[in-house]
Amino acid sequence: MNNSTQSADSAAAQPLADTPVLSGSQIEKSISGPSGLLTILHSLDIAVDNSEAIAIVGPSGSGKSTLLGILAGLDTPTSGSVHMLGENLNDLDEDQRARLRAGKVGFVFQSFQLLPGLNALENVMLPLELSNTPDASDRAMTMLDQVGLADRATHQPLQLSGGEQQRVAVARAFVSNPALLFADEPTGNLDSGTGHKISDLMFSLREQLGSALVLVTHDETLAMRCDRRLRMGDGKLTSV
Amino acid sequence: MNFPQQLRFAGRAFKRDVKAGELRVLALALIIAVASVTAVGFFTDRIGRAMERQAADILAADLLATSGLALPESIATRAIELGLDTARHTRFPSVVVNQDDESQLVAVKAVTSGYPLRGALKLTTLDAPTEPAPLDTPALGTVWIDVQLKNILAIDQGDTLTLGAKDFIVERLIQYEPDRGENVFEIAPRVMLNMDDLEASQLLGPGSRARFTFLMAGEVSPIDSMKDWLESNVASEVRVQSVRDGSPQLQRALTRAQRFLGLASVVTVLLAGAAIALAVRQFSLHQADASAVLRTLGATRTEVVIWLVLRLAMIVVLASVIGIVVGWFAQLVLAKLLQTWFSMVLPAPGIWAPVIGTLTALIAVAGFGLMPVLRAGRVAVMRVLQRDYSGLDTSVVMTTLIGVIATYFVVLLQSRDWLLSAIVVAGVVAMLGVFALFGRIIIKAVRAVAGARYRLSVAGLQRRAGSSVVQLAAFAMGIMALLLIAIVRVDVLEAWERDIPPDAPNVFVVNIQPDQVDGFKQRLDNQNIKVAGVFPMVRARLAAHNGEATLADEQNERQQRRARREYNLTYSNDLPIAGEIVEGEWWATDGTAEPGWSIEEEWAAHRGYAIGDTLTFKIAGVDVTAPIMSFRKVDWESFQVNFFVVGSPATLVDMPATFVSSFKIDSDFSTTTGGWAREFPGIAALDIGAIMNRVKTLMDRASLAVEYVFLFTVLAGICVLLAAVQSSQGERIRESALLRALGASHHQIKHAVVAEFAILGAIAGLLAAFFATVVAWALSRFVFELPYEFNGWLWIIGVLGGAVGISIAGYFATRRVLTTPPVVALRNTA
Ligand SMILES: Nc1ncnc2c1ncn2[C@@H]1O[C@H](COP(=O)(O)OP(=O)(O)OP(=O)(O)O)[C@@H](O)[C@H]1O
Ligand SMILES: [Mg+2]
Repeated sequence: MNNSTQSADSAAAQPLADTPVLSGSQIEKSISGPSGLLTILHSLDIAVDNSEAIAIVGPSGSGKSTLLGILAGLDTPTSGSVHMLGENLNDLDEDQRARLRAGKVGFVFQSFQLLPGLNALENVMLPLELSNTPDASDRAMTMLDQVGLADRATHQPLQLSGGEQQRVAVARAFVSNPALLFADEPTGNLDSGTGHKISDLMFSLREQLGSALVLVTHDETLAMRCDRRLRMGDGKLTSV
Repeated sequence: MNFPQQLRFAGRAFKRDVKAGELRVLALALIIAVASVTAVGFFTDRIGRAMERQAADILAADLLATSGLALPESIATRAIELGLDTARHTRFPSVVVNQDDESQLVAVKAVTSGYPLRGALKLTTLDAPTEPAPLDTPALGTVWIDVQLKNILAIDQGDTLTLGAKDFIVERLIQYEPDRGENVFEIAPRVMLNMDDLEASQLLGPGSRARFTFLMAGEVSPIDSMKDWLESNVASEVRVQSVRDGSPQLQRALTRAQRFLGLASVVTVLLAGAAIALAVRQFSLHQADASAVLRTLGATRTEVVIWLVLRLAMIVVLASVIGIVVGWFAQLVLAKLLQTWFSMVLPAPGIWAPVIGTLTALIAVAGFGLMPVLRAGRVAVMRVLQRDYSGLDTSVVMTTLIGVIATYFVVLLQSRDWLLSAIVVAGVVAMLGVFALFGRIIIKAVRAVAGARYRLSVAGLQRRAGSSVVQLAAFAMGIMALLLIAIVRVDVLEAWERDIPPDAPNVFVVNIQPDQVDGFKQRLDNQNIKVAGVFPMVRARLAAHNGEATLADEQNERQQRRARREYNLTYSNDLPIAGEIVEGEWWATDGTAEPGWSIEEEWAAHRGYAIGDTLTFKIAGVDVTAPIMSFRKVDWESFQVNFFVVGSPATLVDMPATFVSSFKIDSDFSTTTGGWAREFPGIAALDIGAIMNRVKTLMDRASLAVEYVFLFTVLAGICVLLAAVQSSQGERIRESALLRALGASHHQIKHAVVAEFAILGAIAGLLAAFFATVVAWALSRFVFELPYEFNGWLWIIGVLGGAVGISIAGYFATRRVLTTPPVVALRNTA
């Protein structure tokens, strides 16, 4: 659609082995709250290698979601820079960042975030359609089958249980074979049994497809399944 | 995504929207807007055309050109060029003589074939009231006469009448002549003959006082161009009359009907517009989350906006199609209903109504939807991770401005009047502003006085202060429109009824000689006929104003023509009935008044006369000069005898006069008046009951139309209430789930919801009653020109109706609030 998308495509096609798929340096985020300026992130550095899975843990309100948003290009840092898939996000405007994500970055959210207007299959097709990938419907169907919901393809999100909705969300996250996956508390709204199934699904798909993963969680066992664990505190990340 | 892909994508979401009822209220509002605009459009179009055609009966044509001189041939040439139907008639006074050598002054009308172009003559034979063979035009050598002449000269079928140099056989009796009412004071009995006989009869000598008329009928646009052509080419010597400047009573009825229909459809559209605005805003708010998710997954803002716009466009198309179909059937039913009242097949509607309907829907959705959709497209993506990113930040000024502009164009489409639309929109904006302002204050006040019992409801109002005020304004607007239409409708209908008072005279008697007055009064008394008065009538020409001759050589022809015209003056001690002094003073009523005139206000205003000016009238060769003492307002719709110029008795009493009178008879016209002509030679009685009946039926039909259009307005009003109730549903479901989770009983919540809506409804009803009163007063005063009476019921109905109606509507619209299990509600909105 535009030049930067072109260059992003080529960067993603041949990721350099020594270049991290995602990196942030000197990330700073302040917001003006009711009681003056509040700094949530303090000159924070992070790097995620190809196919690497990292977990971010930390107390509530410590800024995990804020960081995730900035790393994914959903929000901009007050200062510092983020490189994703070989592009400096500071050079891109909001729409260019969206284009960069299309089909190459997947998301799983705590609150599922399926589009209520579309059925399960159509939700899964979304990333393919947004990245103009052919055979969207067939590929989405295959993916739904992988998460065990082929028979629910035409169901509305509200007709599905929470666990089923999250499985659809996982299918949607992986359907486009993304280089990078962001997950914010993917099991937070589910009971532990269902949560386990979801995380099993996520990790097996990730391994199968080789996607890098940035996972925010409170769940220690979930965090343990990642390659590295980082703790958020005082606006900084420390290795655990 | 390329466009076809986007279309498919939006189509999928749209299908779901339709199924999920996401767009239910929006669709309903759109369908009502389109259906009502289309139906009202179709309907006013057809009825308007039918009514105009009926009014055309009164001219016997759509357009008339009349002159005291032979008409230029160019008129006929032009009319034929434009493809109009044409006919001619020539009218002049003459004398007929019967077989017994009795003579009578008559009003002759020579007609060509084709006359009347509109309406129809009602003819019978003279001897039997059976249906005779229909005739189009008097055959050569025959005449048709009216009842008056039959009575005066005791004429039978087949008798011979001598007119000028020629004898004619009387073949038909004219029971009804459509354009007879055009000049009620052309009082001599009628003789109608064929135009080709006119020359043979040698009646029209060079000096005779004939009126030559060219009649035209056809489609609207050639008639309009013909009228323009006449006005710019021959206006100086020819008087041009079209349907719209026909009889004042009919014209008034028509204008009022059109104004009311116009008003009703503007109000309908405004209401539907409000519902659309609420629903489209609601839709956009709902789409904020989806927009954020889509953009997280890689969609650009433009793509999201296109996705939303396409869905809205689809709903507009779908609703328009349904609306047009509904509107078509609605007007079809109505047309069927009215067909029996109208004695003609209703003219087919034009194609404009559905176009305007669709345009209305489009403009409303675009105008009210643009900003919310843009806003939804730009919502902060971080919403997906953190709820508190509302991100719905657009300038209120901009949103309001675009909404106002859209409203303006929507109203303009209905009213086709730039200024009026501006006034209406300014009024609506001011009104909504006041609703919002007072709403806020009143909600606070209610909170202060509400006891513990209602705390939950009032707290609800305050928690949702923003949307409560929007709801309140919408409720008030809906209730106000309903109240307003109800009052104005009743007022207009009543005023129409009053237009023709039950005791309106249906007989005019003219040409009563001074020495016949007492005898005639006695005669009427014997027949038990009540007469309001017998008025002297003096024929005069206006000679001078403030001593300056109005017939001076240098004046243009139009002024001269006006000056040459003969006026009927009267004199009186008392102010004539159906008159009222607006400036100056009426003279002494005891007969001691000095000479002076009292002039009808518009007549004076046209000529620029002022109180104290002197006017000179030439009466039978004598100049009569007197000062203008007063201006009168005359109720021409009263059907009473009335005069532009009245003199004090001292001014005119010595002048030659005949007397006129009018009264109502309930018995048959010809039997009642049959003997009068012989008993009082010279007097002529004129039946105007038939003309009055036509006016009356027209008004009845118009009022029926008004009632019908009112239905649509009610529907649109209900739609606004629905949209307003709906707009807080999501919030309410979440809130009540929370309250139930915290232990509130089903009962408590139901009470709270109903009480909250009742309070909102009562406040809205109060505001609505206030505004309805103000607007009704202004409308009566300035638009319909009717007196306004304060109506206390309005307030009671407004407040009670508001409370009851809104709480019922609110209860039904939000019963999902009560049936949704708290868990579901809380989980889905986490
Ligand atoms: N838009 C905002 N306005 C004001 N404060 C905000 C905003 N976004 C985040 N914050 C604040 O920033 C801090 C970090 O929030 P964030 O959502 O990143 O925390 P978190 O680590 O994800 O917490 P949790 O584990 O509860 O999800 C919190 O104190 C929050 O109140
Ligand atoms: Mg968080």
